[in-house]
Amino acid sequence: MADVTFSNVQKHFGAFRAVQDLNLDIREGEFVSLLGPSGCGKTTTLRMLAGLEFPTSGEIRIGDRVVNDVAPGKRDIAMVFQSYALYPHMTVGENIAYPLKKRGVEKAERARMLKDTADMLQLTPLLRRKPRELSGGQQQRVALGRALVRDPKVFLLDEPLSNLDAKLRGHMRAELIELHRRLGRTMVYVTHDQLEAMTMSDRIAVMEGGKLQQFAPPQEVYREPSNRFVAGFIGTPGMTIIDGALSGSPGAWRFDAPGISVEARHLGPDAAEGAASMGVRPEALTIGTGDTPATLRLVEQTGHENIVVVSIGDIRMTGRTTPDKVWSPGEEVMISIDPDMPHFFADGPNGKRLNAKPSPRGNEPSHSLSNLSEVSP
Amino acid sequence: MIRKIAFNLFAWALVLAVAFPLFWMLVTSVKPQFELFRRPPTILPETWTFEHYIGLLKETNFLNYFWNSIILSTTTTLIVVAIATIGAYSLVRFKYRGRETLAFLVLFTYLLPSVVLILPLYLMLVQLGLSNTITSLVIAYTTFALPYALWLLRSFMAGIPEDLESAALVDGATRLGAFRDVILPQLLPGIISTALFTFILSWNEYLFALVLVNSDEARPLTTGVMNMLVSSFNIEWSLLMAASVMMSVPLIIVFAFLQSYLTRGFGAGGVKG
Ligand SMILES: Nc1ncnc2c1ncn2[C@@H]1O[C@H](COP(=O)(O)OP(=O)(O)OP(=O)(O)O)[C@@H](O)[C@H]1O
Ligand SMILES: [Mg+2]
Repeated sequence: MADVTFSNVQKHFGAFRAVQDLNLDIREGEFVSLLGPSGCGKTTTLRMLAGLEFPTSGEIRIGDRVVNDVAPGKRDIAMVFQSYALYPHMTVGENIAYPLKKRGVEKAERARMLKDTADMLQLTPLLRRKPRELSGGQQQRVALGRALVRDPKVFLLDEPLSNLDAKLRGHMRAELIELHRRLGRTMVYVTHDQLEAMTMSDRIAVMEGGKLQQFAPPQEVYREPSNRFVAGFIGTPGMTIIDGALSGSPGAWRFDAPGISVEARHLGPDAAEGAASMGVRPEALTIGTGDTPATLRLVEQTGHENIVVVSIGDIRMTGRTTPDKVWSPGEEVMISIDPDMPHFFADGPNGKRLNAKPSPRGNEPSHSLSNLSEVSP
Repeated sequence: MIRKIAFNLFAWALVLAVAFPLFWMLVTSVKPQFELFRRPPTILPETWTFEHYIGLLKETNFLNYFWNSIILSTTTTLIVVAIATIGAYSLVRFKYRGRETLAFLVLFTYLLPSVVLILPLYLMLVQLGLSNTITSLVIAYTTFALPYALWLLRSFMAGIPEDLESAALVDGATRLGAFRDVILPQLLPGIISTALFTFILSWNEYLFALVLVNSDEARPLTTGVMNMLVSSFNIEWSLLMAASVMMSVPLIIVFAFLQSYLTRGFGAGGVKG
């Protein structure tokens, strides 16, 4: 059963379309991330779900109730704000207990629930402090506590980890996953950090320019990006996307770009002659052997591997090698692209993916995911 | 080092320049009449006396005026703070056509010199049958304290993150509840500044009181004291100084009471980012 549904939701600010034609079905107990670059409408979507922003048109349901006209406090949701939004004049304990107080939970019961939540988040020693006397990570936990103290139908989290340092972020990520498993509640999680989205979510909704680009499990988003935008956005280091043209006929397609000519396998029925682009993930590129000459531009040593940038004419491509290979920039190398692995997209920045489903062999996301680096764009 | 000493000297000189008239006021009010005009003047009184204070309280209308001023300033302050708080909330949180224009127009009214407003205001108050009442002064002071108060509170209100209110709404508060639980406590320093500003303004106002009120029942301290102690032929210096000391006392008390609130620094650290 769908737990949260957006049907044809639009949100306009004056003439500006912040969210367009949004359709989402979130299942009960699912962990869904809204992922996308800054300004793509993630927060707006979440605020509409919370009732803090009214959709210009369309319908939002929680459970089987249309909530368009329901006040935020009556939607059975809890929200963690990107800014935490802790009440500065209240102590940690008062902050966490505030939603209970507003719902008329009696005092003894309130104290018990506060204690449970504080114990779970290890906030018990801090209950008498004011928010300004806490570190960022502690404030974060208080904000979580204020949401977790209740047992709402849906949790909304707006980039709750974005203010933390990398180490604490990794720790909190694990805690959130664990929490979701334990509570089994629906969670809608806004982030612009693809690592968070990939590691935590059951499904990811990738957004751009107010439009939903793809809504699928992390592996699928990685393996079968629905269009060129998603392909370029997901993955670190990113996919190299080369503009060129398709020629030939079904079963015998070729892709040509200046300095590159490859056989285009696994194309689906949407493929057509003319302008198109090819996407090559770093793991599809072999450096050191092959039949295409290229120039080595840059080697980044991360320790467990080298990130290598090579160029063919004006085209720059990113690949990976084991750390024992020694290269120096400017060197001429031979490269090859695994013909089974590239993705092909129709013309345009959001051009649709042209590959046939199921996806070509070899794009092993388990390998790729483990190599996503902590640093995200 | 030298610079520091020079700076300190400068600061103390300033303090002295500001404080000396106050000191002189205090000293004069406890000198007997015959010591007042002695040359060279005595810095500290040779004989201390409180006869001026007693005379003022027992034989004049001083207490009456004092009471009028208290009522007048308190009422004005309450009205101005209440309206300005609600108005500032509206100007900051609600989106409606002409909101910015409205805010600008409010400031514009403050730019008008109050002298040009006296006569129209007087005529209006006479027509309303309010001339010679404390109410007329409350209305007058409200009209010129409100625009500034609104601007002051608007900037304080704009400094309160909207997320705080959103959080309260999600946590189950009504709009009014969120306002009371979250906005008001955050706004307290702003409200106190505004209240101080309005109270001092109403307490010290002279011109409107002179024009609008012409009876002892409704006269506030400023015009009352002038009327009573300053005439074309004579100034009752001792009584005037005693009156001045007593006029300053409420302000000093109010300040001492509220100053700690102003500097306590609410609000810091509630919201990150
Ligand atoms: N109240 C508003 N009035 C006008 N425009 C708005 C308003 N709120 C958001 N927008 C615009 O809508 C777009 C989407 O904003 P939103 O806050 O949803 O972005 P976001 O995806 O959360 O970005 P970020 O990752 O930076 O938080 C932005 O271009 C923003 O400028
Ligand atoms: Mg946002």
